[in-house]
Amino acid sequence: MPRPLARRSTALLAAALLLPAIAGCGVDEDDAGLVIYSGRNEKLVKPLLDELEKAVGTTVAVRYGESAELAAQIQEEGAKTNAGLFFSQDAGALGALSTKGLLQKLPQQSLDKVDPAFRGSAGDWVGTSGRVRVLAYHPGQVAKAPDTVHDLVEPEWKGKIGYVPTNASFQAFVTGMRVLEGDDATRAWLKGLKANEPKVYDNNLKVLDAVDEGEVSLGLINHYYWYERVAEEGEDKVKAKIHFLPGGDPGALVNAAGVGIVKGSDQAPAAQKAVDFLLSEKAQKYFAEDTKEYPLAAGVTSTVKDLPPLASLDAPTIDLGKLQSLQETLKMLQDAGMV
Amino acid sequence: MTDLHVTGLSKAYGPGAPVLDGLDLTVPQGALAAVLGPSGCGKTTLLRIIAGFLRSDAGTLTIGGRTISGPGVHLPPEQRRIGIVPQEGALFPHLSVARNVAFGLPGADRSTRQRRTEEMLELVGLSGYGDRMPHELSGGQQQRVALARALAPEPALVLLDEPFNALDSALRTGVRADVRAALQATGATALLVTHDQQEALSTADLVAVVRGGRVVQCDTPHEVYRRPADPWVAAFVGDAVLVAGTADHNNVETALGRIPLTAPTGELRQGVVVLRPEQLHLVDPDAAEAGGTVTDVRFYGHDAMVTVAVDGIDEAIAVRVPGQAAARPGERMGIEVTGEATLHAAAM
Amino acid sequence: MHPADPVAQTDPAARPTGATPPAGRSRAGRPPAALLVPAAVAAVFALLPLGYLAIRSLEHGPAFAWGVIADERTAQLLGRSLGLAAVVVAACLVLGVSLAWLTVRTALPGARAWSVLVTLPLAVPSYVAGFAWLSAFPALAGFAGAAVALTLVSFPYVYLPVTAALRGTDPAQEEVSRSLGHGPLKTFLRVTLPQLRPAAAGGAVLVALYVFSDFGAVSLMRYDTFTRGIYTSYRASFDRTPAAALSVVLVVMTIALVAAEARSRGRAGHARTGTGTARPAIPLALGRWRLPALAWCAVVTGTAVLTPLATCGYWLAVGNSATWEPDTLADTAATTLGVAAAGAALTTLLALPVAVIAARHRGRTATLLEHSAYAGHALPGITVALSLVFFAVRYAEPIYQELPLLVCAYAVLFLPVAVAGTRAAVLQSPPVLEDVARSLGRSPLKVLREVTVPLAAPGVAAGAALTFVVCMKELPATLLLRPTGMDTLATRLWTETGTGSFAAAAPYAAALILLAAVPSYLLGRHRT
Repeated sequence: MPRPLARRSTALLAAALLLPAIAGCGVDEDDAGLVIYSGRNEKLVKPLLDELEKAVGTTVAVRYGESAELAAQIQEEGAKTNAGLFFSQDAGALGALSTKGLLQKLPQQSLDKVDPAFRGSAGDWVGTSGRVRVLAYHPGQVAKAPDTVHDLVEPEWKGKIGYVPTNASFQAFVTGMRVLEGDDATRAWLKGLKANEPKVYDNNLKVLDAVDEGEVSLGLINHYYWYERVAEEGEDKVKAKIHFLPGGDPGALVNAAGVGIVKGSDQAPAAQKAVDFLLSEKAQKYFAEDTKEYPLAAGVTSTVKDLPPLASLDAPTIDLGKLQSLQETLKMLQDAGMV
Repeated sequence: MTDLHVTGLSKAYGPGAPVLDGLDLTVPQGALAAVLGPSGCGKTTLLRIIAGFLRSDAGTLTIGGRTISGPGVHLPPEQRRIGIVPQEGALFPHLSVARNVAFGLPGADRSTRQRRTEEMLELVGLSGYGDRMPHELSGGQQQRVALARALAPEPALVLLDEPFNALDSALRTGVRADVRAALQATGATALLVTHDQQEALSTADLVAVVRGGRVVQCDTPHEVYRRPADPWVAAFVGDAVLVAGTADHNNVETALGRIPLTAPTGELRQGVVVLRPEQLHLVDPDAAEAGGTVTDVRFYGHDAMVTVAVDGIDEAIAVRVPGQAAARPGERMGIEVTGEATLHAAAM
Repeated sequence: MHPADPVAQTDPAARPTGATPPAGRSRAGRPPAALLVPAAVAAVFALLPLGYLAIRSLEHGPAFAWGVIADERTAQLLGRSLGLAAVVVAACLVLGVSLAWLTVRTALPGARAWSVLVTLPLAVPSYVAGFAWLSAFPALAGFAGAAVALTLVSFPYVYLPVTAALRGTDPAQEEVSRSLGHGPLKTFLRVTLPQLRPAAAGGAVLVALYVFSDFGAVSLMRYDTFTRGIYTSYRASFDRTPAAALSVVLVVMTIALVAAEARSRGRAGHARTGTGTARPAIPLALGRWRLPALAWCAVVTGTAVLTPLATCGYWLAVGNSATWEPDTLADTAATTLGVAAAGAALTTLLALPVAVIAARHRGRTATLLEHSAYAGHALPGITVALSLVFFAVRYAEPIYQELPLLVCAYAVLFLPVAVAGTRAAVLQSPPVLEDVARSLGRSPLKVLREVTVPLAAPGVAAGAALTFVVCMKELPATLLLRPTGMDTLATRLWTETGTGSFAAAAPYAAALILLAAVPSYLLGRHRT
């Protein structure tokens, strides 16, 4: 009875060893003139990076991953890294690599293309696009959305708020609040929010859905989710509205995706071209139109309908590189019983 | 030449009494030797060392003049050319009978292998069973396939590890005879490990009785039975009647009368006399010197064992009588001795 | 001294151990080099992450590492992880053993189909399971949700080895028990179950380690565990040192668990003893228990497989990101099958010598080797991946971010999965068969190939199938170590869900689950 099985498993084993040789896979990075470690999702940036390849004029290979994990990987690789460019989803990961001295200083002319608020204090990374924390609200249930996150702890919002405590952008916002207002105030706010029994969702889209369907009245999300939804379904089909918090409110934090040139690779010239491309008008327009983010350079302003200009937002001023100190934030969220 | 010589073989598992303690054994070519001993006497350890599954602590093993184990030498099992027939056969359950038998055949061409396999199956009386799977055979058949498998590569020596243990007694005699015939037909030297004295005596050409990790006696079955090395061997290889005796030239004086000795005893005067129950005969109480009262009668079919409390001896003795015993418990009987006896030192 | 009973004589050398020295002892000697060398290679392989952890955790000095470990929160997280593991293991044992017995030993209608279906949950990535359960029952978030999601993806770890063990046990023993007046249930509990213990315990350890290492389900369910603490350290502070220090705790816990399992295993022999060769078992008629048995199988597989599949269907139905790209899907599936098969093959090859030594040459060496194989198994994928990054860029740069390294990573991650199945299977074949093969002229290596492995084939194959499936869904190490530009189903799933494109993600999740049926089906086809 088990005789054919034995033969079968030997055959399977042999096949298994041969198969990957047949299944072709991937770009050989030895041939690539530039390797990009991208913490930004392939779905968001692939068309842009295809364009980038043309602009740089050499083969470009992209490795996608989570920004934090890729940052850890670059740290482990050290001087032997394959990465020429690190394209991060948020400023924190870039700040971490900068602190470890793993990023190369960028030429002043590149840095100058971007507002100092959206580049590394050591001049070794630069923001490429920004996103703003906003309040989504259901107009049928909310006459006027609050103008500060501090109002969210008021009893009138009990059980009516949706949020994603595990989301990196939410956590960056809390970190920003700590930088702006101190740990005690932040802790008190988190406690108040928790006491208001907010509804927890897995991701920002679900929060938007919940607001849209009136399941909750308010939702804490990033701005582009709403604009993408509107672009896809048409504004008349989307019930939810968004509100930009004014007056430097911590709830209006602007976080940036950005790039840095990784030290130790011999790809610096190509990487520099890539940085210049990402700060070019073409790339900035892509962020404005395709990912519905805020362009940060080349004088590009968003063409998305109704998107207020970045300059008009009155966002809080903080050093984005400091957003790498999330550890304490997480402890607070854990203590508050949120994550 | 494929005679087996075991010299000074020792083996201990951890501290304490060794399992093998300087064991010596010689098996001439073509002979079937039985290693007979009680449980734990070291016979299975001996077999595993000969096969090469265990290393000895000391001693030498040679087969046909080739040293397979000794100081600085340890041939792995696969290079020893020693076949084994384990308890219960241990056929490979994933291989057919034919493939089991062919397992040890060298990479000869297919037809040669096939011929040899058929020859072997015919030898053990299982022609035509080649395509069966082991679980489709009876216990006896499995055992015979195991023998065929061991013999197929023409080993220098075949080891049989209590191979008939698991068979029922009716089957056992037949399989035993088949195995003996097969071994004789191939002329293989063989070592049969067993604790069954009947099996050893009836099957083997030589019987080596092992106790405490040594061979205490190695002789033909007849000699071992008739002239045991000591009372323990006597009792182990068969029923024995032990009585005190005093040697007098070629005879010995006992409570059962004067009995001729098998051999002169030299210095030894006082000791234990070993007799076999079949040497004793129940006679009319007045017709014999010795006599006693029957205490028990056990019937075995072909014969019966009568226990008699003999005058002048503390312990009762056993008398084997053919057919139905003509004695009843409580009856007084005379005892007569025929044949010869051995005398041993009394200390046991 | 009664002359009629010579065997009862006292023999000064007679030992109470019986005629045969116990198999364990006679074989406990040093394993042959042909086994020892490859096993040592496998162990060194598996120990790589530990070497890395030692270097990283002491980066800021022992005081810093101790500070992380001695933190109150560390103990708290450890307690939470242990609690979750205990509940999941208990639930998996009940599900795995009951389903194994039903599909192997009873006349369950459609037993073969069930035996394939029951293994499918293994292919469900824990984050998909977590997502599915959370969508369906938001109230489950927390301990209950994490326990349900993890149980339903990991019970095949128990089911598969127990199935193999059940096929190997001698039905005659059960018949004996029945003849001694025990009903089927009592027979199962008193005769069958004890024999399944090594297999079930091996599976239970894998489940526990899986729970320790899981990040996907616990993070979705918002249940804080040890691994989540490690991820948080990477993601929140971008600092590898606290993560490494915490990982060391996980390693210590793993070794303690494996050692406890090994001790509970004891010295019991599980090879069949009795005349001749075992017959295949006759399936037990279920009678009036037929419907409840069927219902049980249906409920378990239904909840474990259909919930995630239904979630995929729901994603497709309501999502607007659906982009049907059959070519990409087919290419990705082919790549996934290829790397998973290579991973399973290497893992199984490395596991074999370790498993054989663990089963046949018990002793200090065996313990050391086996513990080495398990030591890093509770580590989160990201830690193992980073350790391989660390070593590869230093000592194996040519294969860094190439296919061979990814396959090696799978072997490091999943070695215990293959070892557990193989060891249990080897334990069940009588050692005397190997002696016979040696005496018939086979070298130890040939004995391994021609006797040990074929006899253990059902267990080895089950181990390989398990490894294959877990390789398919592996994400963190694949992301870091894959050749640049290569995608597996798991990485595509990650990409699509990363932007909330659940409809686009659905085909990849479904393909992952359905492809897991391939090895299960192949295994099932040869069961008679």
